Amino acid sequence: MKEFEYLKPDSIKKTISILSQFGEKAQILNGGTDLIVEMRDKIIQPEYLVDIKAIPQLNRITYNKQDGLNIGATVTLNEISNSKVVQTHYPILVKACKTVGSYQVRNRATLAGNICNASPAADTAPPLLVLEAKVNIIGPTGEKIVPINQFFTGVKKNILKKGEIVTSITIPPIKGKWVGVYLKQGRKKEVDLATVGVAVVCIRDEVRIALGAVAPVPVRAFKTEELLKGKTIDESLLEKAGRSALTEVSPISDVRSSQEYREEIIKVLVRRAILQAKGGHIL
Amino acid sequence: MKHKIRFTINGEVKEIEVQPNKTLLKMLREDLDLIGVKEGCGAGECGACTVLVNNKPVNSCLMLAVEVDGKEILTIEGLSDGINLDPLQESFLKHNAIQCGYCTPGMVMSAKALLNRNSHPKEEDVKEALAGNLCRCTGYKRIVDAVLDAVKKGGGK
Repeated sequence: MKEFEYLKPDSIKKTISILSQFGEKAQILNGGTDLIVEMRDKIIQPEYLVDIKAIPQLNRITYNKQDGLNIGATVTLNEISNSKVVQTHYPILVKACKTVGSYQVRNRATLAGNICNASPAADTAPPLLVLEAKVNIIGPTGEKIVPINQFFTGVKKNILKKGEIVTSITIPPIKGKWVGVYLKQGRKKEVDLATVGVAVVCIRDEVRIALGAVAPVPVRAFKTEELLKGKTIDESLLEKAGRSALTEVSPISDVRSSQEYREEIIKVLVRRAILQAKGGHIL
Repeated sequence: MKHKIRFTINGEVKEIEVQPNKTLLKMLREDLDLIGVKEGCGAGECGACTVLVNNKPVNSCLMLAVEVDGKEILTIEGLSDGINLDPLQESFLKHNAIQCGYCTPGMVMSAKALLNRNSHPKEEDVKEALAGNLCRCTGYKRIVDAVLDAVKKGGGK
């Protein structure tokens, strides 16, 4: 690993001023579970590493009925899945957090880090897409809120400009009864990246669908959602939904799977996730 | 520039100077001679470098040494009191849950952390807790059996 300066500011203001001062030479260190590997492999070689874990207001989970759930940037995936509030109101998020890496990794890795790293296979991305999460960002020009479906811009690329940091992720409240499901297909049960990930949220007659690891960015399947809206879910509609979802993504062959296998699994998981969310049995 | 950091390692307070680009794993092995902690993959996949930081298991290869400033670290060397082994270590011995031994310190530390947070884990809990620890010699059955037996004998207290 190349040498660098380690900085640990204790406020957002100081962080932004450091990031603005050093520009491209600076890199944020959060959980480090992706970054340190990339630094070891010399893919990223920052001159200044800015550890944001000493900033108290980034380490909170808050929840209320009006504003929904807010998860600070440095809250770890294990802290999220152990949170009673998240377990009660957003079990889909607990499920997704628990499928990332190993227990050890989840003690360091964060939700903000998972989305900033912007892997197409990020397990928390499909659930955040169907929950219509908002990403809270602060930079030299002030604060802004970006809907999660505009946050990812390409493989390992996001909308953040230099000097900007994600401070938290907000999941707005959903009115009425709803059910969320996240299904992940990997090569093995534990500690693997997703070959395909599918999240579904059903709210009354609305169905939201998002897919991971099947396009350069995690994808919300709006066309398929339109197809399902207000309709009674039956066998033929489920089949149509699977085929429709396939038209909204662009799976490739890689070390984890062939394109053909991904296409099959997309159809299976979309169908299975909708059925589970609708309370039906898995066929 | 080196950073002066202060932390507790296996119950002892230490103050040393480290380069920021040194991982916790390297500091433990090279500066503190705690060579129970092993490097397997160096990328958070194998768990051979697992240690407890503030009672939580982490991959020491994915953490910088400077990040443990003010924290408490427990490695495999800190489990026994110098005379008696930890009940988990005894149980690993009894069940022959060791072949080459390279993964063992990480396995034991992950299991120790599990017992610290859940004194009566079920088999699924043990498997989840050890999912990030790979053993390339043998299966996992003896390892899981060893942890469950330690629980039965009150190892989880």
